[in-house]
Amino acid sequence: MPILELKNVSKIYGSLRALSDINLSVNAGDWLSIMGPSGSGKTTMINIIGCMDTPSTGSVILDGVDISKENAANLTRIRRDKIGLIFQQFHLISYLTAVENVMIAQYYHSMPDEAEAMEALEKVGLRERAHHLPAQLSGGEQQRVCIARALINSPQILLGDEPTGNLDEENEGIVVDIFRRLHDEGVTIIIVTHDPEVGDVAQRKIILEHGKVIQDIDQSATFGEALKLKSKG
Amino acid sequence: MGNNSRKKMYLRMITSSLIRRASRLIIAVLAIAIGATILSGLVTIYYDIPEQLGREFRSYGANLIILPSGDFGITRADIDKLKNLIGREKIVGLAPYRYQTVKINEQPYLLAGTDLHEAKQNSPFWYIEGDWQNVMIGREIAETLDLNIGDTFTVKGVKYGEQAEASKQNLSAEENKTRDFGSQNFSKKLQVKGIVTTGGAEEGFIFSDMALLNEMIADENFKADVLECSIVANAEELNELTNKISEHIPNLSPKAVRRLTQSQDIVLGKLQALVLLVTIVVLIITMISVYTTMTAMVAERRKEIALKKALGAENKFVIGELLGEGILLGFIGGAAGVFLGFEFALRVSLNVFGRGINFQWALIPITIIIFIAITVIASILPVRHVMDIHPAIVLKGE
Amino acid sequence: MFLRMILKTLARQKSKMLMIAFTVVLGVSLSTAMINVMLGVGDKVNRELKVYGANINVKHKDAAIMGELYGLGVNDKFLYEEDALKLKTIFWGFNIIDFAPILESKIILTAPGKNLRAEVPINGTWIEKHAILQTGEELNTGLRALRTWWDVKGEWISENEADLNSVMIGNSLASKYNINVGDALRLSSNNGVVKNVIVKGIYNDGGNADEAVLTNLTTAQELLNLSGKISSIEVSALTTPDNDLARKAAQNPSSLSAEEYETWYCTAYVSAICHQIQEVVRDGVARAVRQVAESEGTILNKTTLLMILITILSSIGSALAISNLITASVIERSQELGLLKALGAYNYQIILLVLAEVMLTGLAGGIVGYFLGIAFAQIIGQTVFGSYIEIAQVVILIVGIILFLVTIAGSIPAIRYLMALKPTEVLHGK
Repeated sequence: MPILELKNVSKIYGSLRALSDINLSVNAGDWLSIMGPSGSGKTTMINIIGCMDTPSTGSVILDGVDISKENAANLTRIRRDKIGLIFQQFHLISYLTAVENVMIAQYYHSMPDEAEAMEALEKVGLRERAHHLPAQLSGGEQQRVCIARALINSPQILLGDEPTGNLDEENEGIVVDIFRRLHDEGVTIIIVTHDPEVGDVAQRKIILEHGKVIQDIDQSATFGEALKLKSKG
Repeated sequence: MGNNSRKKMYLRMITSSLIRRASRLIIAVLAIAIGATILSGLVTIYYDIPEQLGREFRSYGANLIILPSGDFGITRADIDKLKNLIGREKIVGLAPYRYQTVKINEQPYLLAGTDLHEAKQNSPFWYIEGDWQNVMIGREIAETLDLNIGDTFTVKGVKYGEQAEASKQNLSAEENKTRDFGSQNFSKKLQVKGIVTTGGAEEGFIFSDMALLNEMIADENFKADVLECSIVANAEELNELTNKISEHIPNLSPKAVRRLTQSQDIVLGKLQALVLLVTIVVLIITMISVYTTMTAMVAERRKEIALKKALGAENKFVIGELLGEGILLGFIGGAAGVFLGFEFALRVSLNVFGRGINFQWALIPITIIIFIAITVIASILPVRHVMDIHPAIVLKGE
Repeated sequence: MFLRMILKTLARQKSKMLMIAFTVVLGVSLSTAMINVMLGVGDKVNRELKVYGANINVKHKDAAIMGELYGLGVNDKFLYEEDALKLKTIFWGFNIIDFAPILESKIILTAPGKNLRAEVPINGTWIEKHAILQTGEELNTGLRALRTWWDVKGEWISENEADLNSVMIGNSLASKYNINVGDALRLSSNNGVVKNVIVKGIYNDGGNADEAVLTNLTTAQELLNLSGKISSIEVSALTTPDNDLARKAAQNPSSLSAEEYETWYCTAYVSAICHQIQEVVRDGVARAVRQVAESEGTILNKTTLLMILITILSSIGSALAISNLITASVIERSQELGLLKALGAYNYQIILLVLAEVMLTGLAGGIVGYFLGIAFAQIIGQTVFGSYIEIAQVVILIVGIILFLVTIAGSIPAIRYLMALKPTEVLHGK
């Protein structure tokens, strides 16, 4: 049973067709990369999957519910419950410590629980840095806090927007490694990237161009291999 | 328990937001504090002006003249009762006068016995050549008799309670002399210590201490013919006061000096209106600049709001946090400003009037509340379309 | 290119720059208004203080003050009514707001059909005289404006011919003899002149005048057979508070050096005005009524000082607010400016850019603010004093300098921040 299904999804801004008639189905536990050049519709796609925007036509079925006609308030609730977001710019709140940045997601979702937030940080190897402010953390560490924050409410989908775009090689490896472990735990991962190396480590890769899926590549065969290479790298 | 941890997180968020962004928020706090300083300072001055300037207007001299109703004069007991009735802190000066006709070179003059210190309080506009002490003469007398400071002159007169024998033309010089030096008469040599210039009737008087006068006329009893009072009060208050005096001390008949009381009300009214208008203009302008400063800092907030929304925050949470921060910020700035404002008002008062100032304690909560309101409005109004801030703006760069 | 960038930023940052401009407008208008009001307040309050009545009294040089004191004897030394109008021709004539020649004497008061006969003081004066000077200048003056505190029952008498047979009496006199408005009285002098008059008004002065009868000057002169004669002139003049020079001059003007004399003569000290009055009033001695003259000085000085302090405070307030806002808005834009740095701009180029932008904005705001401030000042002048406040040109200079310094000061924290900023930090979105 697919956790996410896009059926004939189009998004039109004025005369611009950002997405045109997209059909996509993602199963629970899948690891999907979305690639494509600038202006291909990646951002629009992530907005729609991330419940931050609705399609002009077509339907989006998330966890069995059609969200394509929901209003902003409902979308916020759904996003809070089902989506964990990772950003290229990390977007940690500068005046909150690492653990507080994780707790803020709990706060908006249900109850802040410091112990649980610490556990999440431990998972990304940042227990020692929990009480540092973002400015005191390296880029890689900030991104790991961002991942911990995205995971804290056990979302259905972990949605990354160029999560390694601001990271060096080494930190990129660490982050990909975390994704791998999460994948092993059964987390559904969707990553938008233009970095082919990051795109290649996924089970499946789709390539967008001019708002259309021009390629849908099953990488299950090379999946394990690429991962190994990546974790070594 | 669960609610508690949410509350704790809320407080943690807004306090962290203020404490850890301190270096940037200093600007906002400064703006609020300046505004609050001006508000509390000017309003304090505005309220204190009638009192402070009212005292300055006392330089015009006595505004209440009290005469005895009967022929018995005013006693010390009357004065004490009067002082209690008026309220000692309202009295700038209260000088009793006792008049005695005396002769210098056979010419009649009026000698006024008074409390010289109180007379000085009452009439700061007198110009005294020499010293303000026993005995001073009016300038007219000084010119007529060609007296200078340090010169002596002899006053003659009739003692208290005695009848002066009229000079009779048919008396011989010898007889006249005995009449002048009889036991019912007095003669005293006095030294000029000061010459009084006022441009008014006072220039024709001789001023001495009440005690000296009493000694000369051999009357130990204090007995004033008139009391001149300089009292901090407007026309209406003075009217009430005269009614109260006539009622409680029936042997006194008080009379407000219309010229001073009416004029003071007019001028003071204008001055207060001036300060009020200035205060209002300054306040409006300060509040607007506090607002603009706060809104200048809003760009970073937009991004943060978008992020919070992306993380699943509902609008009410976002607004609640902004509100909390605004309240805290306004409180800190407002509180700091109130005390700075009081300090400022005090300085102004000391500089201009040489006196402390009465603080309007109610201004503390009022100022703080006003500035909390401004801060909250200024931090929420620019992002009032919180609902319209799209979470997607956090996705790519700026 | 530099210019282009400035214009671009100004255009693009429209709302930000508008906000700075707006605050500058407010700040400058506040300072302009306050400084103008501050500079004008002395004059305005001075005029208000005229309600206290005359501050100069002119008498005959031989007139004994004794008579006035005891109510004995009557002066037989007089000034000339025609000299009164000359007051407006002296150097400080413009500062003389009001004056009234007065003829005072005693008169026998009787009333037809009443058992009344009393000797009472009489004051004849100009009530509201309209006169045309030799220079063609028109003028209204008289006692009415010098007795603002009077509470009048009935009506003031006027200069009309009909009122030559009307009088006003003090309320003490009225109550003593039970005289009411509209009653007929008979005034007779020692010379045997008799006039039948009507009481047109009863005034409450709160002083000695409450015992007296007030008539037109002509009426009194006819009664007393003293045509063209007056006893004294009450003068209300705008004066400058005394200083040491004025006090020295008041003692003896000839003790001054030529230069001091010039300064003294050309300043509106009460002693200088008195001196000038004596030059035109034959046999006259002009004396400052210290109760009014001195106290005026006190009130004026205090009020001016108060306004100066309030002006300083509000100017500091608006200066801080402007400088604060500039800091806040420049720091807000640090990303964009940091980008310029990353593109290879030198610090000084960026600083110049920032300063030029802010200065241009400040200038525009300053000009608008200046005119708004003048409007504010006039509103205050009209509301409080009912007259226009004169605009001092020097305010432009003062406010201009303050604004310039404030703008620089406001940019300093932002500039320091920019200089410390590393291009990489900007690019990595910190």
